[in-house]
Amino acid sequence: MSTSILRITAREFCEREGVTEEQVVTIVEQGIARPTAGQQARDWEFDTTSARWMQKAVRLHRDFDLDWVATAMLVDLLRQRDRLHRENRKLRQQLRRFLLED
Amino acid sequence: MEFKDYYAILGVEPDAEKADIKTAYRKLARKYHPDLNPGEEAEEKFKEVAEAWEVLGDDTRRAEFDELRRYGGRRAGGFEPPPGWESRAAGGSHHFSGDFSDFFNNIFGGGFDAGPGEQAFHRGRPGRDVEIEMPVFLEETLADTQKPVEYELPVIENGQRVTRRKSLKVTIPAGVGEGERIRLRGQGVPGQGGAPDGDLYLHIRLVPHPLFDVQGHDLLVTVPLAPWEAALGAKVTVPTLDGKVTLTVAPDSQAGRKLRIKGKGLVSKSGRGDLYALLKVVMPPKAGDRARELWQSLSEEQAFDPRAEWRASA
Repeated sequence: MSTSILRITAREFCEREGVTEEQVVTIVEQGIARPTAGQQARDWEFDTTSARWMQKAVRLHRDFDLDWVATAMLVDLLRQRDRLHRENRKLRQQLRRFLLED
Repeated sequence: MEFKDYYAILGVEPDAEKADIKTAYRKLARKYHPDLNPGEEAEEKFKEVAEAWEVLGDDTRRAEFDELRRYGGRRAGGFEPPPGWESRAAGGSHHFSGDFSDFFNNIFGGGFDAGPGEQAFHRGRPGRDVEIEMPVFLEETLADTQKPVEYELPVIENGQRVTRRKSLKVTIPAGVGEGERIRLRGQGVPGQGGAPDGDLYLHIRLVPHPLFDVQGHDLLVTVPLAPWEAALGAKVTVPTLDGKVTLTVAPDSQAGRKLRIKGKGLVSKSGRGDLYALLKVVMPPKAGDRARELWQSLSEEQAFDPRAEWRASA
């Protein structure tokens, strides 16, 4: 039996992704993620959904040699695309309840 | 081992300028980066491209690679580096932290090593994170639910890369939502050389329900009504995720009207959401003679123009 973990600490994130605490601060300053708990940067906690976007941000920043502003814009657009995909799926499903099959 | 022609992978000439190599890398990365293009095929392709850039984007490694390429890159059959080969670039900083090919590891050796500016916590190579889709039924989100998970992991056994099936039982916490991710620490690809194992991420997908649509923490159910039920009012038994409720439809109810059934939505941190009943008026399939007469007399007695709006804007 394995337990689900819904949080990750800044320190753990740094270890896993090979990034520094300063980079995590930058990620938060750029609005890519918001900590859910912790006063000091080293005690910050993130929910795993945010952590996943942080991970994507770190990779895109590194693999495309982007600055953090561009990275934040890109992640923002990717998130928006995800949200719109989900919403679109939902609305199509809803619409089907009112349309007759051809 | 197989010789990797990094120039061919990036589609550049062996005498290409570094700037051109970088442009070629970035173009291909745009096409195959796993964060921009989901799918395993893209990921594999990106690994190759990233590895090529890792070598050709570094002057020392590129010079060494050129030497090896002249030495025997074009020979048929397996490639072996010259006897006593030792890379001057081995153990240097790596830009990209994914899996490298056997060719790369043999030539530039040392495997994963954190470079300057990165925190060198581990000398081995940490395991990759794995993400899988986790379909969850709406009913399962009302309380903590245990679900079996099965997935495949690439592992190294006796120096061979093999695939192992893994099964786990995981607790899906009450109130999970579409697109959320659950992290299972250390259940991803095993690390090498004492480095930590990767994590497993479960990407939550709410399975579309035959009756209910999700709107945040609220649910929506479409309630079909006969025209006379909408006109005269009715008591209708409505299904919810847990049990049934009786809904009172007021006389003269309009199609498209939403009625709130409190506390029958999805579970959230701030309590349970609501269920909305959306009224939909449905015609009977075929009117008999008597029904046609009744409709006829109704139409004669009613001064109702359902398209009045059109006239106003025409």
